[in-house]
Amino acid sequence: MRLLASLALQNLGRRKARSLLLIMAVAVASGVVFTGATLMRSIDSSMAVGFTRLGADMMVVPEGALTNITAALLTVEPTDLVLDQDLFAKAGIASVSRAAPQKIARVEHSGIGSHHDSVDLIGFDPMLDFTVRPWLVEKINRDMRPGDVILGAARDAPLGSELLIFGKAHTVYGRLGKTGVGTHERGVFMTFDTLEALAGSVHGHGGGPPAVLQKGKVSGFLVELAPGATPLQARFAILSTLKGVKVVTGDSTMSGIRQGLAALLNGILALMVLMFASTALMVSVLFSAIVTERRGELGLLKAIGARRGQIVGMMVIEAVIATGAGGLLGVALGVLVMRLYERSLVYYLENIGVPFVWLDGPRIVIVAVAAVVMASIIGALGSLYPAWRASRRDPYDLVRGEG
Amino acid sequence: MLSCRGLRKDYVTERGEVAAVAGIDLEIAAGRYAAIIGRSGSGKSSLMAMIGGLSRPSRGQVTVDGTDIWSLSENALAAFRNKRIGYVFQFASLLPTLRLVDNVALPAMLGGGRKSSATYARAAALLGQMGLGDHLDAYPSEVSAGEQRRAVIARALINEPALILADEPTSDLDEQTEIEIMDELLAVNRERGTTLILVTHNLALAEQAEQIVHIAHGAIVP
Repeated sequence: MRLLASLALQNLGRRKARSLLLIMAVAVASGVVFTGATLMRSIDSSMAVGFTRLGADMMVVPEGALTNITAALLTVEPTDLVLDQDLFAKAGIASVSRAAPQKIARVEHSGIGSHHDSVDLIGFDPMLDFTVRPWLVEKINRDMRPGDVILGAARDAPLGSELLIFGKAHTVYGRLGKTGVGTHERGVFMTFDTLEALAGSVHGHGGGPPAVLQKGKVSGFLVELAPGATPLQARFAILSTLKGVKVVTGDSTMSGIRQGLAALLNGILALMVLMFASTALMVSVLFSAIVTERRGELGLLKAIGARRGQIVGMMVIEAVIATGAGGLLGVALGVLVMRLYERSLVYYLENIGVPFVWLDGPRIVIVAVAAVVMASIIGALGSLYPAWRASRRDPYDLVRGEG
Repeated sequence: MLSCRGLRKDYVTERGEVAAVAGIDLEIAAGRYAAIIGRSGSGKSSLMAMIGGLSRPSRGQVTVDGTDIWSLSENALAAFRNKRIGYVFQFASLLPTLRLVDNVALPAMLGGGRKSSATYARAAALLGQMGLGDHLDAYPSEVSAGEQRRAVIARALINEPALILADEPTSDLDEQTEIEIMDELLAVNRERGTTLILVTHNLALAEQAEQIVHIAHGAIVP
């Protein structure tokens, strides 16, 4: 193995200009893939935060409920009417990607704010939610527990402080950023269990607790469309599947942007795959030429006793060294490019309302290692066929420059 | 030592099939110096390639020391070439990226089995015997054509083969160097008892051989 690696290195060193060109070509491809993959993953996770902050695509509420339509659907509106919490789970509508149930109870004399202030107590399911937690700007460094509440941006209380709601102690778990949506900014958010535990203290119009505070009942659902589904399709599917509901559509432009960007990212991924495939072909063509040029040398090696595996191994090692070096150089170039464009890119994205979140260090290292490994695999695959073909020839044919 | 039976090599050309070697029977005893002579295109190099396990015959059998070499598997044949046969080609056949000592050690390194330090010590000793002791670390491009050919002979001897095949080894050398190289080959034949088969169109070189095989149109001329 050492002998083959040493022969491969010497061969690369013999044709310095060609080896450098090969390394540079692979470096460009690997650099594009590394940078593209890192940015894609970063944009993807930024979108997960940023675009969910733009709210749901539509809202499903009980038929007859009054709704206040805002540009961003972030919470449902208070209503006396209720729906079953498992409505969407049972229906399984294909055009719906996620349906986050919410309970909302507008209460007075809760102990929050001044005596007559009405407060929206909003219950959500942390497992399905996509409109509350993306807005968290600060939180206690632990998972949310029963008794924890999250305050809208218009409410102020230190993290971890005690908040009495109808005399019951709650802990301020986190605070949301400004949304410009009144209900959302003034709301006090908590899990369903925490909200339902307050049922005994809240009085609805009939004197007893409002129906929404019963277990298994919700005020409505915030709905995210499945990729490719149009609001019209989803509306039709929901209305034809679920009875007694009303569908409220949000800003369709945002749905379009969200879906369009997801498609764009998939397109970039496909382009990167094509780029790697074309690099593999280029390496293969180059190594076919190298094998042709070195027929005499390969024939000589076979004549003095090199086995087929050794011939193939030498050529493949040579390619892997060159393309692996190209991969490393590409990653270095990619890091440089990302550093150069970091400020302008982050500024631009934040300007259009997408908070840019870079991938964390370990994940960037994984992407970098993957790019180098992929480059090396391309070298191995690209050189394998020409090397295998040459190894099958008789030594005499190779020495005479045939085959 | 060497036996060929019905050895034939056909090449397919645009004008049909051409027989480079048209059914040759040949015996060469161990330790002999044999010369295969003939004009260019007579088939002598094709015959040599089949004898040396470098080119698969279209038909026939080659037996070296009792081994039917063309019945061996690919890897076994490679090992046979490595251990039992030394080649001296008609061109400068050293790898340009390796020093002379690396080139000479290469067959032993490819074959494995011997320690690297022992292999290099033997390679250095062989180069010393060929008068190249001062050029161990030189690259092929840094020595003369005659010195390169001596290094090739040293490489052919590294695994102590039973048979040395030399295909026009002096065709591109001047007369004085040709004499020196032939002296080296003949010394190997006499002193080590290694069978030497020389392909040449130079009758003067062939005259020193114990057995002369004259080839014309792919067949032995009686």
